[in-house]
Amino acid sequence: MFFHIVLERNMQLHPRYFGRNLRDNLVSKLMKDVEGTCSGRHGFVVAVTGIENIGKGLIRDGTGFVTFPVKYQCVVFRPFKGEILEAVVTMVNKMGFFAEAGPVQIFVSNHLIPDDMEFQSGDMPNYTTSDGSVKIQKDSEVRLKIIGTRVDATEIFCIGTIKDDFLGVINDPATA
Amino acid sequence: MSGEEEENAAELKIGEEFLKAKCLMNCEVSLILEHKYEQLQQTSDDPMNQVSQVFEKSLQYVKRFSRYKNPDAVRQVREILARYQLAEFELCVLGNLCPETVEEAIAMVPSIKTRGRAQDDEAIEKMLNDLSLIKKFE
Repeated sequence: MFFHIVLERNMQLHPRYFGRNLRDNLVSKLMKDVEGTCSGRHGFVVAVTGIENIGKGLIRDGTGFVTFPVKYQCVVFRPFKGEILEAVVTMVNKMGFFAEAGPVQIFVSNHLIPDDMEFQSGDMPNYTTSDGSVKIQKDSEVRLKIIGTRVDATEIFCIGTIKDDFLGVINDPATA
Repeated sequence: MSGEEEENAAELKIGEEFLKAKCLMNCEVSLILEHKYEQLQQTSDDPMNQVSQVFEKSLQYVKRFSRYKNPDAVRQVREILARYQLAEFELCVLGNLCPETVEEAIAMVPSIKTRGRAQDDEAIEKMLNDLSLIKKFE
């Protein structure tokens, strides 16, 4: 799920950036520093949308760098266990398939794919029901439930399932 | 964060911080990110080079999965769902997935039933109807 939250960060700025553009410099450095990062607690920082407050700068002993506490609003993407969301299939193999929901990768093991779907190899590997009516392959859109998350220093990785009611390939009315 | 072990969105256990935070539906994120991308386009020749991979992937994702395209419809969806005493998180899951039946809605957001908030099937049905009307008239 995407959230709009307020985060705080201590920004260190080199004295050469001081002057009337200090604020602009600080904001552009903040965007460079935080956009695209990921933490286990807040998830992926997608975009900084505004600055709430920039506190008083504090000169660091010995270096001349100044630290500013900056409060900023940003859009983050944070997956939760138990959350149901839609994702795009990126890779299919006999172990299961990988899907992407925005910045996050989700793996669905073949144990968590309904039993009536069989793996078919070939140049477009896929999972298909015995009657061929439902097919999961690269670029399919699926609705899945996140059942586990693993947090790295720079990435969040999820395990999902489509073995439940109302999960699986999305019946897109446009293509039906 | 304390209680991380028990994190479970189905029971609305997503941590104090996120429970209070403003959730965004995919269509809202799409509006925000596209606006930001347009701003970048004005200031640089090659905006795709300026943005992070996370931004690029998120933008592609929300464009693909936005249920409502025009800003007015997005606002109406939020207004309608806000009448039903939903938590932010529940509101956004419903707005993103647009379930068609009461049963499906409860499967997507089990917490609407378990929290004892007098959400009977009729109320849920009415809510889903209102939502599908917006989609129709968009």
